[in-house]
Formats: sequence, structure tokens, C-alpha cells
Amino acid sequence: MGFLLTTLIFVAIGIIASLCTRICFDKGPSANLFHLTLVITATVCCWLMWAIVYLAQMNPLIVPILSEVE
Amino acid sequence: MELLKNLPEMDLMRSEKMTFVQLIIPVESAHRAVSYLGELGLLQFRDLNDDKSPFQRTFVNQVKRCAEMSRKLRFFKEQIHKAGLLSALPTMQPDVDLEALEIKLAEHEHELIEMNANSEKLQQTYNELLEFKIVLQKAGGFLVSGKSYETPEGIELNEDVYPSDYPESASLLEQATQSGPSNLSGLRFISGIVPKSKVLLFERMLFRATRGNLLFNQAPADDLIMDAVSSEMVEKVVFVVFFSGEQAKTKILKICEAFGANCYPVPEDLTKQSQITQEVLSRLSELETTLDVGIRHRNAALHSIGVHLTIWMNMVKREKAVFDTLNMLNFDVTKKCLVGEGWCPIFAKPQIQEALQRATFDSNSQVGIIFHVKDTVESPPTYFRTNTFTNAYQEIVDAYGVAKYQEANPAVYTVITFPFLFAVMFGDWGHGICLLLGALILIARERKLSSQKLGSFMEMLFGGRYVILLMSLFSIYCGLIYNEFFSVPFHIFGASAYRCRDASCSEAQTIGLIKYRDAYPFGVDPSWRGSRSELPFLNSLKMKMSILFGVAQMNLGIILSYFNSIFFNNSLDIRYQFVPQMIFLNSLFGYLSLLIIIKWCTGSQADLYHVMIYMFLSPFDDLGDNELFWGQRPLQIVLLVSALVAVPWMLFPKPFILRKLHAERFQGRVYGILRNSEIDTDSEPGSARHHEEEFNFSEVFVHQMIHSIEFVLGSVSNTASYLRLWALSLAHSELSTVFYEKVLLLAWGYENFLIRMVGLAVFAFATAFILLMMETLSAFLHAIRLHWVEFQNKFYGGDGYKFKPFSFATIADDED
Repeated sequence: MGFLLTTLIFVAIGIIASLCTRICFDKGPSANLFHLTLVITATVCCWLMWAIVYLAQMNPLIVPILSEVE
Repeated sequence: MELLKNLPEMDLMRSEKMTFVQLIIPVESAHRAVSYLGELGLLQFRDLNDDKSPFQRTFVNQVKRCAEMSRKLRFFKEQIHKAGLLSALPTMQPDVDLEALEIKLAEHEHELIEMNANSEKLQQTYNELLEFKIVLQKAGGFLVSGKSYETPEGIELNEDVYPSDYPESASLLEQATQSGPSNLSGLRFISGIVPKSKVLLFERMLFRATRGNLLFNQAPADDLIMDAVSSEMVEKVVFVVFFSGEQAKTKILKICEAFGANCYPVPEDLTKQSQITQEVLSRLSELETTLDVGIRHRNAALHSIGVHLTIWMNMVKREKAVFDTLNMLNFDVTKKCLVGEGWCPIFAKPQIQEALQRATFDSNSQVGIIFHVKDTVESPPTYFRTNTFTNAYQEIVDAYGVAKYQEANPAVYTVITFPFLFAVMFGDWGHGICLLLGALILIARERKLSSQKLGSFMEMLFGGRYVILLMSLFSIYCGLIYNEFFSVPFHIFGASAYRCRDASCSEAQTIGLIKYRDAYPFGVDPSWRGSRSELPFLNSLKMKMSILFGVAQMNLGIILSYFNSIFFNNSLDIRYQFVPQMIFLNSLFGYLSLLIIIKWCTGSQADLYHVMIYMFLSPFDDLGDNELFWGQRPLQIVLLVSALVAVPWMLFPKPFILRKLHAERFQGRVYGILRNSEIDTDSEPGSARHHEEEFNFSEVFVHQMIHSIEFVLGSVSNTASYLRLWALSLAHSELSTVFYEKVLLLAWGYENFLIRMVGLAVFAFATAFILLMMETLSAFLHAIRLHWVEFQNKFYGGDGYKFKPFSFATIADDED
């Protein structure tokens, strides 16, 4: 699917999640900022995890060597 | 920067603004004011009578009375529990006055004690009568058969009461009774009852004491009898001792007393025996009914107390708390007002003022309560307004150290990064689903469980239910990325990117598969599981991942220290601590992260260990095969130089500049002292200024040196510490594989149904206890460690103290 495309999907999910949180849990500017921080942190963490695993498999130096079939 | 300054303050980021206040309360409204403040729960009183002992304080009598009342209430509770009554549901009651309550409690206690004493006496009498009845029954048998040839009618009446061990001694008794019954110096007897456990010893002792001149008969009692000493039901044995002589009698009586044997007089005459037996029986039945009535009466009294008990206990607890707080206040000079000091959040000031006004109104006082802000140099307590969701995370952070007043609160980021790092170490979406179910059950039964009293383990689990919820959600995500469902990979996101080189797959076990498509779109490719090169690949992936997460979190920590410096207007810290720290960490470990990413993107065969080590050992050498990008060598030299420059940058300038600043301030102070003498100097600020005038340069310098060395050495050790993310995730995955392959698959290989069931059970138990409990605790602990040490030592002070307001709600929790 491509690195860039999936990154854009993560960004889109993050934006949608922030909007949903703003709509459902609107409790004043300071609380909203806190919720926004949480959503952004979660999105960044998840994206980072995915990106690391994806990049590691883009140009691998070793390939799977199957073990003995029993 | 402008955008950052214009943002509203974030909710949990810094402590609520606190202010130091002084209250002046007239005596008549003091009690009511403190109770209303207790209900509000937003003011922390300072103990102004710290140096006085508990007995020197003003309201010591009231506190003693409250303590006495709570003792009485505990006594009632115990009695209710002993009587086996169920605690009644509390009813809604109007408020009872404290003095009236005291009198009522005293009355109830008196009544209850009296009832208990009476019933005890009755019970004792009952026991004695019971023993007497049994003695009469059994001993009567001994005596009668001895006179068998005196009264033929006696034989008919009592033939069936022959004791079993009697016949051999019959001759002696026959000889004795020929001389007539009970003469003064003839054969006499004592009858009684003794516990079965002591009867052998008793008999031997009697034998020795009377030098063998006695006859001892015994028969066991049929029922269990309440032993007065131990208040248990024991078996007893009826005995009759025949002896002669006055001295023998006194000896025997003394021995009976020593052994706790009760002696009862049994008349020899048959008619008298039956008469007395009738009397005893009737008295016994009377006593039974009396006892019954007594117990019912007592239970009714206890029940009526029990209905009010919880409310009374709460009331007394609250009153005691109010008097304890009143004890913290000082009487002022005129003895008509109480003066109190304390901390309260600024947002609570209107609420407190309103409560105080209500108290003045309700107590019909002429004078209002004065409530005003006071200055102090003491550092305020830290107060975070948390809800049920963020409370658990705040407690995790507070367990390490409570934030200093208004410094950045790591809990804001911990809410997400802590479950996330847990999930990196736990990643398996099958186990994640189990955790999710557990968390959902706890949350669904929230209301029911929060009102119950739980064991300590369950309480911790329940308190952390939202943490566990997030942990499970992130575990499911990481499990999907690691592609492990109870260690089994799935092809959820499409076919694998690897396939055999040719149609026959002949070289799959030697050279391996080849990659013919783009990388697997989400997560680890399922072909890796079970291959021989799985571990080298995953180890490399997870180690590099740990380093990347570590560098990211440590950078976040340093950036938070930047925000702290901006907030406290500490430009010195920004220039001489934040900047060199960023430069040092990122020129070494940020560069390593960059190399990792470049190596992944280009697929180069460069050895990163080699690159990093030789960057230090021989930076000017040619890189050769290890060159990842153009310009790498000059870049490495620049980064090395900047790292080396950053170390003295963070070490030296700050102490010297602090000394210079202090000298400037102190110079201006000479004129300042004259001016300040007009302002009142009796409060603390005066003494605090004396403190600031001392500036110990060596202390500051050593402190800065320790801080810098800690950072420099710590940057290496902390980065390496993040490798535990790799270690634990490897352990989890290996354990999971072992249980799956060596237990479940092995058992499933057999055709036998029983073996399959046993295998399934063992797999379930092992998964539940080892993987779900032990591994969860382990990953939880390591994630906490990463937050407390590696993340927080970049910016967190943690030397504040928590805001503990005077509140009735917390008292109820404390006492339990």
C-alpha cells in the first residue's frame, strides 16, 4: 500500500478521532486541549510502531528459511 | 511560539493555583463553620498548635468524649456480631444532637452490660443444676445397688441403673453398709462431676492422698456439658468416692477443688433422691424459659441499636474530625475568636466564602467570619483535579513523588505512553482480548464493586480498571502488528510478501524464500513465524524499535523540561541546560536513530555497531563499506565535536552566572533592608530573606556537576535500558510459542479425546497464570520503571507535597 499512503491514513484517523472527542466530550477549552493531547499522543505512538515495523521489512537483509518439515 | 503562548492551559498539566488563607472565626460559629468546610472538602488546615501535646489542646475534652462514644459503638457492634444478628439496613434519620446521643449511648451500654451479666449468672446456675441432675441420676445408681439387700423395693426401682464397672467392688460396700448408713466415723461418700480429660489423674491423686483407702466409681455423663472455665462443651464423668475419716474428707475436697470437679450432695435415701431429682428438673425447665426470654429481650435491644448504628458511627467520626480540626486553630488575644490558617485552591474561594456565610447565618452569630488571603513563602501543596479515569495514572506518578507546585505533570503523557509501552512488551492480540474482557467486566460492575469491601489484590485491580482497559486495547494493536494470536500468525492483511524461489520449493530450507512484493502492509509478515531465521530478524527489529522509542521518549522528557523553564521564567535553564542536553542526546543517540532509519530505507549492509564505535575511536578514518549516505564522515565529526562541547556547556556556566546574579541582588539589598523595616516583619518572609542571602557556591557547583554527570552517563544507560522492551517482548513470544507448540499441538496430535482435553486444560491454565498474570505484572512493572526513571529524570522534580483537604468523605475512607 505504500508508506506514504498508510501514513496519510493514520493522519486521517487521528483527525477524525480528535473531532469525535471534541464532539462527544466537550468540557471547556482546557479539558479539550488535554483530550487533544491524548489523541495525538496515541496516534503518534501507533503510527510510530507501524512505521518502524514497515520500514524494517522494506529492504530486509535476511529472508525466512523454513525449518525442517516434520 | 506565539501559538504556544496563546493556547489555554491544559487541564492536568500543572497543579491548580493555590492560595494561603487566614480565617478568623467567632467562637459561637466555629463548630458549624468547620463542619460545613468539612462537607465542602477544599481547605487544608495548617496545624498551628504543632508544639502542643494532645492533652494541652483546647478541645481535648470533646475529643475524649467522642473517643468514648466510638468505643461504646464498637462494643455494640461486637455484641451484635456475637449474637449473630444481621446488620440492619440504615434508615434515613433526622440529625441527632451530639449530647443527646451521648446520653442515649450511655443508657444503652448500661442496659446491655446489665443484661449480659444477668444472663451469665443465669447460665451458670443452669449449668450447675444440669450437672446436679446428672450426678443425681448416675450416682444414685451407685448408692442404691450397694444397699440392694436392705430394701427389696429399691432393687425393683433401680435395677437398670447398674454401672458397668461396679460389681467387683460390691463386696466392700456390702460390708461397709452393714454397719449402717452415714455415721460420723464410718464410710462416707462424696459425689460429683469432673471433666473426662482429668478423671484418670484425679483418681490417681485421690488414691495417693488417701493411701488407697477409698473406693472410686465413675460413670460417664450422656450429654456434653458447658465447662465454666473454658466455656466449651466438654464430656464429663460422674464420680462417687467412698472414704472414711475426717482428714480424708478435707483432702478429697481440696483435690476436687484443684481439679475443677464440682461436688453435689446426693442423699442416700431413695425417696429423698427422687424428690430432689423432681425439684431439680422443674427448676431446670424454669431456668430454660427464663434464659430464653432474656436472650430474646437482649436481641431485641441489640436490633433496635443496630438500625441506627452506622449513622451514629458516622456522626461520631465526623464530630471527632471536627474537634481535631478545631484543635488546630488558635485562640486570639481576646479569647473570643479562633484563628486558622490553611491552603485552598483559588477556584474554591467563592465556595468557601459561601459556606462560611451559611455557617454565620445558621449559628445566629452577630459577627461574620473573616476570610482573607495571606502571604507566605512556603511552597503550596500540589492539587490535581482528576476524574475516575485519570486518577489511577496520577496515583502511579504520585507513587514516585508528588509534583512540585506547578511543575509539569508527567501523568498527561503517561496516560497514553504507559499502556503503550506495556503493549510493546506484551504484544499478542489473543492475550489482549482476554485482558480486554477482564477490564470490561470490572468496568461494567463498577457501581456494585465500588460499594463493597474488596481484598487488597482485588482493590488494586479494580482501582486500575481504566489502566487495564487501555493496556488491553494497545495490546490488541501491538499483537496485530507483531502478528501473534496466542503465538499463531494470521494472514489478515493479505498474502505474505515471501514465496519460494521455484515451484518445487526445494531450497526453502537451505537458502530460503525470496521477497517478490512490497513489504507486508501492516505488521510482521506471517512467513517469519516458525522459520529458522525468525529470531535474528525479530531481534534486530525489536532492538532497533526499542532504541527508537527510547530516544523519542527521552526527547519528550527534555522538551517538557523546556516548558517548565518557560513557565518559571528561568532563561538560565533554557540556555545552559536544555540546549546542551538536547545537543548531547541527539548528536549521539538521535544520530543513531537516524542511521537505523537510513539503513532500513536503503537496505545497506553497514554495521551500525562499527559505525558508532569508530565514530569515537577514529572519527577521521574512511568509512568504506559502512558509508550509509554522502557526507557521513564530516557529519559525524561535527556531531562528535558538538557532543563534546555540550558537556562543559551544561557543567560550568550556570553556577558562575548564579553567583553573579546573587551578588547583584545582594548589593541592592543593603538599601532594601531600611525600607522593609516599616512593613511588619513578624511573619515568615523576613526569616526567609535571611536564608537567601547565603549563597554557597561550592554546593551549587557540586549540584550542577552531579546533574550533568547524571545526564551524560545516564543518556547511555537509559538508552540501553529501553532494550527491556525487546527483552520482555521476546520472552512473552517465546513462552507463548512453547505453550502452543509443546502443549496444545502435542496434545492435539493424539486421537484420544481425554488427552486432548487434558492438553487443552493445561494450555488454558498455563496461559492464564503464567502469561496473563505473571507476564502482565512483569510488563506493568517494567513499563512503570521506564516512566519513573528514564522518562521522569529528564524533567521531573517530584519533591512537592499533596493537597490533603479537611473533608468528611476522606475520613470515611480512612477509618475503614
